Amino acid sequence: MSEIDRQVDEIREAFEQEFGRFADLSTDVSALAEAEARLRELSELKIRHTGKKSPISGAMKLIGKVAPEDRAAFGQMVQAVEKGIAAKIEEAETKLSAFISNAKIESERLDVTIPGRRIREGHLHPITILRQKIEDIFVSMGYAIEDDREIETDYYNFDALNIPEGHPARESQDTFYTTEGFALRSQTSTVQIRAMERRGVPLRILAPGRVFRRDTPDMTHTPMFHQIEGLCVDKGITMAHLKGTVSEWLRLLFGPETVTRFRPSYFPFTEPSAEFDFSCFKCGGTGIFDGERCRPCKGSGWIELGGSGMVHPNVLRACGVDPAVYSGFAFGFGLERMTALMYSIDDIRHMFENDVRFLEQFR
Amino acid sequence: MNISYNWLNEIVDSGLDPQQVADQLTRVGLAVEGVHPHGDDFVLDIDLTSNRPDCLSHRGIGRELSAVLDNAMIDREVSAVPSSDAGLVEIEDADLCNRFTARVIRNVKVGPSPQWLVDRLEAIGERSINNVADITNYVMHELGQPMHAFDLDKLSGGRIVVRRARSGEKIQTLDEVERVLDTDMLTICDAESPVAIGGVMGGLESSITDATVNVLLEVAYFDRGNIRATSRKLNLATEASYRFERGTDVLNLVRASERAADLIRELAGGEKAEFVDIFAVPFVPRSFLSNDIAGAVKRLTGLSVDRTECIRILNALGIGSSQNEDGSLTFTAPSWRHDIAIEEDLVEEIARHAGYEKIAEELPPAFGAGEYQPTERRERRLRARLADLGCVEALSYSFIDERHDGVFEIVPGIIGNSTTEPYVTLRDSVIEGALRMRPSILPGLLDSVRTNLNHKRRDLKLFEIGKVFSTGEGEEGLPNEQKLLTIVMTGSESLSDRAKPGNQVEFFDIKGGLEAALDAVGCYEAVYRTANVKHLRIGQAAAVSVGEVEIGHLGRLDDELAAGYKFKQPVYVAEINLTTVLKLPTANAAYKPLPRFPSVVRDVSFIVDRTFAFDSIRTAITEQANDLCRKVSFVDNFEGKDGDRSLTIRLEYRSDERTLVEEEVEAVHASLLKGVEQKLQIRPQM
Repeated sequence: MSEIDRQVDEIREAFEQEFGRFADLSTDVSALAEAEARLRELSELKIRHTGKKSPISGAMKLIGKVAPEDRAAFGQMVQAVEKGIAAKIEEAETKLSAFISNAKIESERLDVTIPGRRIREGHLHPITILRQKIEDIFVSMGYAIEDDREIETDYYNFDALNIPEGHPARESQDTFYTTEGFALRSQTSTVQIRAMERRGVPLRILAPGRVFRRDTPDMTHTPMFHQIEGLCVDKGITMAHLKGTVSEWLRLLFGPETVTRFRPSYFPFTEPSAEFDFSCFKCGGTGIFDGERCRPCKGSGWIELGGSGMVHPNVLRACGVDPAVYSGFAFGFGLERMTALMYSIDDIRHMFENDVRFLEQFR
Repeated sequence: MNISYNWLNEIVDSGLDPQQVADQLTRVGLAVEGVHPHGDDFVLDIDLTSNRPDCLSHRGIGRELSAVLDNAMIDREVSAVPSSDAGLVEIEDADLCNRFTARVIRNVKVGPSPQWLVDRLEAIGERSINNVADITNYVMHELGQPMHAFDLDKLSGGRIVVRRARSGEKIQTLDEVERVLDTDMLTICDAESPVAIGGVMGGLESSITDATVNVLLEVAYFDRGNIRATSRKLNLATEASYRFERGTDVLNLVRASERAADLIRELAGGEKAEFVDIFAVPFVPRSFLSNDIAGAVKRLTGLSVDRTECIRILNALGIGSSQNEDGSLTFTAPSWRHDIAIEEDLVEEIARHAGYEKIAEELPPAFGAGEYQPTERRERRLRARLADLGCVEALSYSFIDERHDGVFEIVPGIIGNSTTEPYVTLRDSVIEGALRMRPSILPGLLDSVRTNLNHKRRDLKLFEIGKVFSTGEGEEGLPNEQKLLTIVMTGSESLSDRAKPGNQVEFFDIKGGLEAALDAVGCYEAVYRTANVKHLRIGQAAAVSVGEVEIGHLGRLDDELAAGYKFKQPVYVAEINLTTVLKLPTANAAYKPLPRFPSVVRDVSFIVDRTFAFDSIRTAITEQANDLCRKVSFVDNFEGKDGDRSLTIRLEYRSDERTLVEEEVEAVHASLLKGVEQKLQIRPQM
């Protein structure tokens, strides 16, 4: 081996010796800080052993002392050594960087199953939720939503609705009166009269609102509750339209399989009158759910919902509408009862106690 | 009402089993709620509507069933020859007693009823007393006609006078209660005093006992309204009054009387003696015209029922028909149907017997776009916004306790100026003390806070939107009804799904909630100023207004009031007249070009005392109307120990023409602060 070759070899050996501690990183690098220190040392080492001022770069100057015919071989040899040094450093750098970035990611690993951070959301009252759903359905069917007084004269609460003095429905046992002699409306049918007076006919309205009856609170009664009243008056309106409309909105609310049933009944403000039931949304009308008697329909398969009928000619006349020209249907039902059925609520007094443990269950 | 299947079969031979009978009756509107076996019989539990008193008997139900089956009722011919009226009965007040019959049965042996009668009564839930009493009860359930049996020998003068009670007259009724009568009540009297309250209950003194020998059987027809009024005034409702006030059959009296007299003769011995029938007010059947009954059915129900079938159904129900020369029909309501008066009533009779299930389902022809209440969209946004902020929607009763009177300051605009008595008050309530129609929603919500605290729910945000009331001078003097928004907050902010609570709720949280709520309904101009509000703690109360209009108030609940509710944590409340707010005009958003040059901000701090208002600094700056000063905002409020505080505000400067240079900003800034100093005598901290 020539002197020059030996010099190159020494440079290589000096590097290898210095680089030795980076050759196997797996044994002594375990922490992030350690790895970062190593990377700094490595970059210092890199500065010393690569680039124009490095020993191996200097070795190239020895080429002048090499016999011309050996110069090519010498040049290749030095370049190979230089490349080898650079490759080793780069490999170590890559390994260290990978370790570091991996360690950093690990150190910032999160438990993604911890709940997200947000204000606890509030809740709308179940009566509001149901009212809005039903309003949406009827607005889509061309109805105008109406709202009106909760305290009324006897005329609007009774007389105009064909409930004359002495009628059982007019018993003061059922109706709250103010000391001034006004009635807290006992049904939303009052809005029928107000709306026909205000809008004239033809019309289609839906009137949700509070009503009042002198019932002592118990599991199925509260002295205040909510009703929704629908009214459609036009030329040529028949009970078939009543059945079609009630069936349609119940299908829209409870699903396309819902079946509606009408039974003869009596209300002073409609003639003919009918009560309507719909096939139970829970058991689908079978009366049996999960092998047991279905709760909402009490095993009958039917849920009784409300009253309806063709607007009594006396009611139309009271609003200045000629019953020989116009006819109409009306229907009404209670929202608390419907809500209680939908959610299997056993005590409707919960509706007005505002216990958040109750209200939070609805969304 | 309970109907015996076997008994019914004696009236109509239906050939149906009990469930089939139930289904047929339900179909035509006599809702059978249940069929229960009873010995060798079945009992049908029927829920009748109030317009069908004629069905309050086996014969009445039988009549409907016979119309359904087109199968005639098994009827007995009845006649009774009145004996010469020997002054046995006198009607003084015929306006309240259209018809009165009396039958005397002599030499009766009062005793237990035979088993078949006991069983029949037991099946329908009635208790056996003695043969005579049981027979009157039995006939009522069979024919629908209430009646009363007197012990003839206990009637002074042996005669009956039907008259209004005299003022202060008393009677001890069968239930052994002494009742004081008034001059509007009809009584059945003997020669001296009342022996029964007509149509309601008999007297104890003249009632049938084991010692009775001679019986006077009263079967009568009374004015419906009068019976109802008497029953209400005496708070005494009986099977008899129930039927009389809804309406019985004035032409059914002789049949009922004869049936009872025959049964008494049969089961208690005795002979039928005198019979008196005073028909004081002749019965005039109600008749009305129908030009085209089948057409009317089609027009109202969409059902096609031919004229012959229409007439068959009506005739089967006892409704008479006769054809007029022009082809129209005159219909006559039977004496037992008080609810048949117009063509529409006939349509219902035909439709329910033809079957509601045959009516098609159609949607009415298209009509036009539907519409919400004009304020509904904004109210929905309001509800959604509050819910997003963590508020739970409450609904409280509209009536509240009188003890809240004067405790809460009522929101502006609710109570009119001229009224001396502002509150709407109920005559009585079903909830003790709850006589006031609420002028504020706060009492309801604070009760709800109490309820929730009792359940250890201490972090609460509740809101309610609802009507409040005050006496009014509006249409016919009807009360004012306006909508309020009320918010209550207490405890800590809570995070969804996390147990650790956030910051304690304070004044600025409810204010922020209210600001957000008002933004949601398009009200961006609300102004808040320090105010004294009755139910709010001094120094933590604000009045809210928009322009010149006062709309409500908010703040921390007064300490004493809070102590009354046993609240141990601060409760913050806000109440706003939503009716007023929703009437305010809303402006559409107006676009401003985006800034082309950067802005420069300067923060300044002032040492001020607690009564000082941030708003006054802002106003002092904005009213100098400098073009370059674009915005004055609140930065921070640092509370010192000695009552002073450091209030930091930020001024933002910007030009639309150029980038501002430092010197320019300094000059304007200094000038604005000088203006503040001159107006408010405060200097920024250096």
